[in-house]
Amino acid sequence: MKGGVLLQIDIFGWLNGILGWVSGVLSWVLGIVDAVLAFVWSVIIWVWDLAWANFFLLFKAIVFPGLVFILMLIIFDVWFTRKVWARVQDRRGPFHLGKYGGLQLFADAIKLVAKETIIPEGAKRWMFRFLPGFLLVVVLLPFVFIPWSSTWIIADLSVSLVLVFAFLTAVPVIALLTGWVSGSKYTLIGGFRAANNQFAAEIPLIVSSAGPALLAGSLSILNISQAQSQLWYVLILPISFVTFLVSGIASIGLVPLDAPVADSEVIFGWRTELPGIYFTMTYFAEFAKQVLYSALMVAFFFGGSYGVPTFPPVLNFFLKFLVVLFFFIVVTSSFYRIRQDQIVKYSWKYLMPLSVINIVIALIALVYVPGLAGLLVQGG
Amino acid sequence: MSPDIGDEAVEIWFGPQHVSAHGWAAKLTVVGDYIVECDPHAGYFHRSAEKVLEFRTFKQGGLVLERMCMLEAFLAEYPYISAVEQIAGMEIPERAKVLRTIMMEASRIHSLQFWWGQLSAELGLFAMTLWPWVDREFFLDTFEELTGSRHAASFSTPGGIRYDFTDKVRQKLLRAIGRLESNLPKFKDMLLRSPTFKMRTKDVGLFNAEDGIKWGLSGPNIKSCGIPMDLRKDWPDPNLAYDLADWEVPVYENPEHPGQSDAYDRMVQRFMEIETSVSIIKQLLDQIPDGPIVDPKARAKANRLPAGEAYGRVEGTRGITTVWLKTQDKAQTPWRAKIRGPCFASYYSLKHMVPGSTFADFVVVFGSLDPYPGWWDR
Repeated sequence: MKGGVLLQIDIFGWLNGILGWVSGVLSWVLGIVDAVLAFVWSVIIWVWDLAWANFFLLFKAIVFPGLVFILMLIIFDVWFTRKVWARVQDRRGPFHLGKYGGLQLFADAIKLVAKETIIPEGAKRWMFRFLPGFLLVVVLLPFVFIPWSSTWIIADLSVSLVLVFAFLTAVPVIALLTGWVSGSKYTLIGGFRAANNQFAAEIPLIVSSAGPALLAGSLSILNISQAQSQLWYVLILPISFVTFLVSGIASIGLVPLDAPVADSEVIFGWRTELPGIYFTMTYFAEFAKQVLYSALMVAFFFGGSYGVPTFPPVLNFFLKFLVVLFFFIVVTSSFYRIRQDQIVKYSWKYLMPLSVINIVIALIALVYVPGLAGLLVQGG
Repeated sequence: MSPDIGDEAVEIWFGPQHVSAHGWAAKLTVVGDYIVECDPHAGYFHRSAEKVLEFRTFKQGGLVLERMCMLEAFLAEYPYISAVEQIAGMEIPERAKVLRTIMMEASRIHSLQFWWGQLSAELGLFAMTLWPWVDREFFLDTFEELTGSRHAASFSTPGGIRYDFTDKVRQKLLRAIGRLESNLPKFKDMLLRSPTFKMRTKDVGLFNAEDGIKWGLSGPNIKSCGIPMDLRKDWPDPNLAYDLADWEVPVYENPEHPGQSDAYDRMVQRFMEIETSVSIIKQLLDQIPDGPIVDPKARAKANRLPAGEAYGRVEGTRGITTVWLKTQDKAQTPWRAKIRGPCFASYYSLKHMVPGSTFADFVVVFGSLDPYPGWWDR
């Protein structure tokens, strides 16, 4: 054979092969996509089944007594507080935006969130950013245990009373830390004042909630509120209710006992240096606590969801909650601020003995007043 | 900081950016919760009013003075005008004397209402701030009806007054006083009998009468120690009509600590001041004589004053307010004007009163002295 080997290319075969190769690659890719999609779909199906199976729980956690409802309630509380305060002070309160100024809070929130985040030079940056959000989370968590009715409760725990106070004890610690890491003398003073308030008010607060727990024979908030089907505990524990209210105000830091954030003395206490969004979080946390304590008071002292028998239980609870919240706001709008050493003095000298005395009186009454013990339902 | 206080002491600047410190700043040395040293600083509100007065004619000078303290504008402008009138030897029409006195007392009431609202805000009860401020609006309406301005009234002028009293002004003034009188018992109840108010003000900012005089306090601050020191009686001004009314110097002496005064006593004292002012106004309103409000010939004398010096003084809301004026012959402007504001003394007396009180009480001590930064930063 002359010449070299002729390189022969079967051009059509080669072209044909490309098609086959392309289709092979495509089918391979499609197979992968298909497998991924099938996996994703199976995950979706699995989550959906799970959600459908736990639909009620999810709905409760996210929508009705859960996050959305609580946030709406806090927004309402801010508006309600401002309106009641305005009325007490001979003003009209917000009325420009929305019906009766209902949208004012949203405008305020947008303004605050849009503000520049300024972190002071002396501040510990990481903690300064972390603490306000953490505070809001800690304050929102106890709402899990608020029994709006026997069914509309997100979770029940046999020791939910203890757990709620465990969460709430973290609040002044966060306040103290925020004041500390802000790197200013005024915030530090405010933080220590918050700790001081808690030091004064926590024991009366817990002791006055021990009365309902003793009468119901349970540490679950649901059981305590459900045990009042025959008798509201405020009738035999009126002093405990008052001590709970007062020490609750001290614990939150509202006006007569608001030394931690006394604006004329320490500018804004531990919140002085917080910029826009962080301030909004602490501001919301304060109102969330107010809502929380009002709901707890209804559950502990005002018969939970019992009331007008024809009403739905949630409505009963909510109406009583509104009344207690109104009372709460009126109390906080009508006294002069008390100095922090006076807060400690009066808490330890009067609040604590009173909260203990009422339990003793209630127990004696249960023994000696005929028929009273029969009205108590043990264990819910 | 004194060297003997030690390492525990912390220096805190109260102001000038503090919420309750608008236009002033005090350096506090704090040990624990207690203030051991207070160092008030003046100068954040300085407008060089005394120098400005040297460039204003005698008719314009009153306008500078009333801007020293807008809350008591009718009273604040008077010492300067009184000094000008003394140097010129002017005769004031009777009607102008009575109207001046009435409006000065109305200004005093309005200033006191503003003060106790502010003290309540500093004590955390904002309701008690706004309630008296609603009543105060009626006095402001009266001022507006009379002079066209709510605050800077420029009412007095050398030789008389600028604006005449009409029936409408009289009605508005009577309405303001009627509303004040009907609400005053309520306010007294809410302040003086409120347990939380007592807790915050009793034995806070306590000082002796001797110390008060030593530090130069005057007005309600010293009267609440039981010393009847009142220029309206002690130095009867021929150009004012306080002698037409029948009144006593309001003096409150707390039986719990005679010769001493705390924040609570100063509150009581100022309520008595309001009642006295109301009674003076009501008596004088029936005795307004007819006649001119200003003598144009006398007023023309203020264009060029002879050489001389005079000391114009008035019992202001916050204490004795004086202007010392020295002129050269045929002068159009003062050679020198020296203002003595009542609050300079009360501001610097914080040095004496504050040490020993808690950090939270500082603002109460400060507020109970009724200070106004314009009076110490001239």
